[in-house]
Amino acid sequence: MKTLGRTDLPVEQQQALRKAIHWEWFTICYTIVTIGLIALVVSGSQAMRTAWIEDMLSLVPQVSFLIALLVIRKPPTHKHPYGLHRAMGIGHLVAGVALLVIGGNLAIESVISLIKGEHPTIGTVNLFGYTIWLGWLMVTVMSVIIIGPFIYGPAKAKLAPKLHNKVLFADADMAKADWTTNVASIVGVLGVGLGVWWLDGAAALFISIGIAWDGFKNCRSAILDLMDQRALTHDDKAPHPLLGEIVRQLEAQPWVESAAVRMRDMGQVFHVEAFVVPRRRKVATDRIEEARRAVVAMDWKVQDVVIVIVPTLPDEAVSSVAKAG
Amino acid sequence: MSGRRVLAVAALALAGVVALAGCAPIPRDPDGTLDRVTGGQLRVGATPAEGLVEIADGSVSGPLVDIVEGFAEQHDARAVWTIGSEEDLVYDIEQGTLDMAIGGMTDKTPWTIAVGVTRGYPELDPGAAPVVMFVPLGENGFLSALEGYLDHEVATTGGAG
Repeated sequence: MKTLGRTDLPVEQQQALRKAIHWEWFTICYTIVTIGLIALVVSGSQAMRTAWIEDMLSLVPQVSFLIALLVIRKPPTHKHPYGLHRAMGIGHLVAGVALLVIGGNLAIESVISLIKGEHPTIGTVNLFGYTIWLGWLMVTVMSVIIIGPFIYGPAKAKLAPKLHNKVLFADADMAKADWTTNVASIVGVLGVGLGVWWLDGAAALFISIGIAWDGFKNCRSAILDLMDQRALTHDDKAPHPLLGEIVRQLEAQPWVESAAVRMRDMGQVFHVEAFVVPRRRKVATDRIEEARRAVVAMDWKVQDVVIVIVPTLPDEAVSSVAKAG
Repeated sequence: MSGRRVLAVAALALAGVVALAGCAPIPRDPDGTLDRVTGGQLRVGATPAEGLVEIADGSVSGPLVDIVEGFAEQHDARAVWTIGSEEDLVYDIEQGTLDMAIGGMTDKTPWTIAVGVTRGYPELDPGAAPVVMFVPLGENGFLSALEGYLDHEVATTGGAG
């Protein structure tokens, strides 16, 4: 994949995107295996059931990333003049809502079962003629599958900033915390083994709150971007540095008196409206085009740039590097 | 991060407890059913099922009854029988007045929300659906002991049939 809409990807991003696609497929295959393994041992443990549902939910970001990629590569048309980049944001929102709703639901369920004092029932299995408590198999499965996220989590976390992809970043972020789910379910099951019935429900509650919290963070980030907040870095920690850099680039042009930008994140790429107050009343169109090309050359993410000549700068646009910080 | 650390510490602590309790059997019963039964009474509910549990003049007999008597004997317990409908027996288990129940229950039973259910044993009623027995919810030590005994019975005698 070499292009995203009107954006031609530089070699580094092309490679990162290829790797990201491979890692997403790897994660999907790995997760399907873990879902199958947990299904064999899930039994009466609520913590295990919650971890199992979390595993299924964790497929949503990967699937929406891969589907969105198919959509956003299409170039802009008359019907969709800005391209289809928002698909990534919609995928992000869908993943967030799914996590929030199901996580919240699971949390309520575990609280109810704790209040009712439901004792989880975990029996035995007969393996090769031996009767083994199923709890030991649960602990084994959860300890073995803990490894996966430690492999694909950091790999995706490295790719997300290169691609400025928030779905990938959120996905990597969740993978980093995934081991807590495994540890919690092991604690729950061992608690049941020791006769401490409520540890299972408590572990389920811990896991489901984690799911809902992930959902909340994803929803917030996706909604704010869909509502055209000022473009932020991939981790939503700070205003994107390109805001200030573009203003500086424009103000470096000899014919420009002052400049300001409005930049929104379309999901992976930015849409830039640059306002420019010229020194003189007349400006040659060549100059404007030159300035536009200069901005476009700055970064692969800013390919959709319009330059507007104005008598004074609009208040809401970012006009100086200081404000951008 | 502190939440995760707490969790890690909790996991380590629990692992320590498990290691300390190494010689004690796992799983254990939250309400101590197996301990109470051992050397005492095994309170069993029975509901009639053709070829499995026969009831005549207030006394019970049949292959499932023999198995339960054997299980009681293994734990130096005396089986005390209560006869009732399946729903009565489920209620008694929920109330804690029965330790287990037998009859024509199969692995398709809808009572799983009210009582603990053993694995299905097709050998106990050949040709029909796998037979299960009811135990109190969450009494995993007792459940595991019963399933272990049933596995042993089925393997050595080939079941009731």
